Amino acid sequence: MSERIAPTRTPEFEARLKKRYASEKRFRALGLGAIVFSIAVLVFLLGTMTFNGIGGFQRVEMKVPIDFTQAGIAASPDTMAQPGALASLEAQGLRDVLQYFAAEELGEDAADELGAQAWRDVAAAVIADPALLQRSESFWLPASADLASGYEGEGSSDMQALAIGLYEDGRLAKNFDPGFLGRSDATNPQQAGIWGALKGSLLTMVVTLLLAFPIGVLAALYLEEYAPKNRWTDLIELSINNLAAVPSIIFGLLGLAVFLTLFPNLRSAPLIGGMTLALMTMPVIVIAGRNAIKAVPPSIRDGALAIGASPVQVVFHHVLPLALPGILTGTIIGMARALGETAPLLMIGMRAFVATPPDGFTSPATVLPMQIFLWSDEIDRGFVERTSAAIIVLLLFLLVMNGLAIYLRNKFEKTW
Amino acid sequence: MTVVHDNLEKTEAKMSANAVSVFYGDKKAIDEVSIDIPTEYVTAFIGPSGCGKSTFLRTLNRMNDTIPSARVEGCIELDGEDIYSSGMDVVQLRARVGMVFQKPNPFPKSIYDNIAYGPKIHGLAEGKDELDAIVEKSLKRAGLWEEVKDRLLDSGTALSGGQQQRLCIARAIAVDPEVILMDEPCSALDPIATAKIEELIAELNGRYAIVIVTHSMQQAARVSQRTAFFHLGKMVEYGRTSDIFTNPHEQRTQDYITGRYG
Repeated sequence: MSERIAPTRTPEFEARLKKRYASEKRFRALGLGAIVFSIAVLVFLLGTMTFNGIGGFQRVEMKVPIDFTQAGIAASPDTMAQPGALASLEAQGLRDVLQYFAAEELGEDAADELGAQAWRDVAAAVIADPALLQRSESFWLPASADLASGYEGEGSSDMQALAIGLYEDGRLAKNFDPGFLGRSDATNPQQAGIWGALKGSLLTMVVTLLLAFPIGVLAALYLEEYAPKNRWTDLIELSINNLAAVPSIIFGLLGLAVFLTLFPNLRSAPLIGGMTLALMTMPVIVIAGRNAIKAVPPSIRDGALAIGASPVQVVFHHVLPLALPGILTGTIIGMARALGETAPLLMIGMRAFVATPPDGFTSPATVLPMQIFLWSDEIDRGFVERTSAAIIVLLLFLLVMNGLAIYLRNKFEKTW
Repeated sequence: MTVVHDNLEKTEAKMSANAVSVFYGDKKAIDEVSIDIPTEYVTAFIGPSGCGKSTFLRTLNRMNDTIPSARVEGCIELDGEDIYSSGMDVVQLRARVGMVFQKPNPFPKSIYDNIAYGPKIHGLAEGKDELDAIVEKSLKRAGLWEEVKDRLLDSGTALSGGQQQRLCIARAIAVDPEVILMDEPCSALDPIATAKIEELIAELNGRYAIVIVTHSMQQAARVSQRTAFFHLGKMVEYGRTSDIFTNPHEQRTQDYITGRYG
């Protein structure tokens, strides 16, 4: 009897133990590998994006000195403060004045390569400060797309020679372009900006959030707290789960068929885009909301009911505040997906060329991912860089949106 | 086979149940229980696990309403009024019949808000001063005031288990109920916290009608004056606590209190 070895001390047991540790080590290594791989991919993505995108925040500009005392343009601070100021400057021949001075200073060839809309920059400066008209001033104005590619060493040899000449005189340079964030789409990449798409995205997201969040949360609350558990609610649950998995382009077709039939004048409007994306976001919020509500301990409900809270009071005083962090997480996921979505918006006409930022929920607009899609289709090299820059803006927008939601989530997070 | 001692002196019944049966779906969890719960005593429900004592307790303030498959038959009266009649408002009923649960379940809010919540939703206090007074009075009655008076704005969930349970008792007291139901209030607590709760029950005795479900026969013997023994959904015996523990009439009661099963 003294020879008896406890079953946990036999060599077989120790061999098995070794195997168990080995498999644990393997598992940990695999997990670590997965994380390292993800980080490497992310770093690569962000790195190339930033590297390419930096150029997108710059543009090729020509330096044009203008002596306004010779221009004969009259403008008082009063008229410049009025809405018709731009038209008044145009009528007074500001365009020709610019062309004249450009030809005078840089030569006819270079003057022809001034961006078609360059005079608007001058006009904006004059409107901001009418006193400019009493003196001479140098402006850095956008070059034409051809000259810009010449500057980059592409395009015709004439253009390249012209660009080199101007560059050596210090009259052509690639400068940081803060206006990129303030302008809208344009045919010339030197004059294209992201503000129109950014504002379109912002308006669309507001509509999506205002529709999807309350409807999603109320649906989740009703299904979890009030609805009887029967065949019908099972069917509804199944439908909602399936709805979350429907390809987004189908939602676009739905928006086209339903919303645009109801409101035919609102083609390309953020209102319709937001409504379409809300359809797509709502099931995600409902599913996340139901899980968050389910996770609220029943003891909290019992405690509130037992001191005489009515079911509505239980829901709004206890369940909803405790479920809110989880609901917000679902909302982040849904909204982030909606922000990056292009396919459904293609269907409702948000891929149009929109050169002015939308001034409301019903005016034509485009959104950031759509702008990226449109620019990436262009052949011009300038647009390649603009595309990267637009991607950076989209990612930053996403970051700000998620940051806000995470801040809210942590603010409402409680322990029990 | 419900045998009720008839040697109880006639006391005024706060609540009385008459042939109450509870079903979960087709399953009968409580079988024709009749009992009178007196105002001035603590009544204890004892019995082995799954005998239906908690289920019966929850019918007394209609907490079983939250379980969709539960169905109650028979008649339960509070001051002579049928609590399952359509005229009885369930919110008002629960304000009159408070409940403390097995596991302490303070709201994840401040200690102050935990107590103030009931008076607030029922509109029992006018203005902040009155509410402060109710909070202080409730915490004092629950014997928690001295321990928490300097940190009323701390979270209720940060307290120890025993303190949390007294907080829940204070929360129930704050709406000034007539009956307090306690569902194994000490089962998650250590002996010292348990002793405090038992002391508290003794102090509250007389001010409120108290019904306590407990697994511990010693606890029933210590805190209650009336004891009902439940077995397999039936109430086997009900009488003075001293009689039940020293001189039970039923063989099953005898077997249970001497530890033969349970």
